[in-house]
Amino acid sequence: MTEIQILALYGLLVILTLILQATGGLTQLGMGYLLGSRDEERTVSGIAGRLERALNNSVTAMVLFAPAVLLIVVTDSSTNQTLLAAQAFLIARIVYLPSYAFGITGLRSLAWVVGIVATITLYLLAL
Amino acid sequence: MTPELTVLTLAALLQAVQFALMAIPTNLELGAGKTLSPRDPERLGGSLQDQVSPRTGRLIRAMNNHFEALILFTIAVLVVTLSGQSGPFTTACAWIYLVARVAYVPVYAYGLTPWRSLIWGVGFFATLAMLLAALL
Repeated sequence: MTEIQILALYGLLVILTLILQATGGLTQLGMGYLLGSRDEERTVSGIAGRLERALNNSVTAMVLFAPAVLLIVVTDSSTNQTLLAAQAFLIARIVYLPSYAFGITGLRSLAWVVGIVATITLYLLAL
Repeated sequence: MTPELTVLTLAALLQAVQFALMAIPTNLELGAGKTLSPRDPERLGGSLQDQVSPRTGRLIRAMNNHFEALILFTIAVLVVTLSGQSGPFTTACAWIYLVARVAYVPVYAYGLTPWRSLIWGVGFFATLAMLLAALL
């Protein structure tokens, strides 16, 4: 599997996170509120709130990960190390989602750290 | 590697620095117990961002703002690079973007009005100029 395929899989993981987050919002806020203009701010709590924060974090992680993968592809500098870093990122972010949703303290932070370190590694390898 | 791609790499590494600038004071102020927790606002009495000091809050907002700026800058760099239109003008724009985004952090942290907005504008218009240069 190439780095760009890993990016595609990560995109699908973010979409899955989005679907779970929307389902949580739907359950707690109701369809009427979601379809409306949401002028009045309502917040979700519990697992739905954690999924919302996991989604926001996954999007920001993608903002950093996607350019790194594109850099590797555009400069044709894929190596075993870049592939390993991309794989580590994907696995870490897969672990991140349930560990946030179920509030597993420590594992979530560990998965996040592995993800960001893998991303920074990709940039340093590209340089 | 085009110069724009080098700047994009440096901009992403700047974000790693901004993350540390935000995360270290947040952890010192709130304690690892709160930051390691699932951060449920209903249990912590509000979001983490509302509980930090004003300066740390600014560093958090500065980091969030750079995430948004990076989305547009990444598009601009890829468009310029993939269409083979990298030149002195787009290179200069990319470096101006990076310098503006570096300056943005201390200017936000110290609340220098209206310099933060002006510097934000420099980064934004440098990105726009790259996109327009690719179209023209």
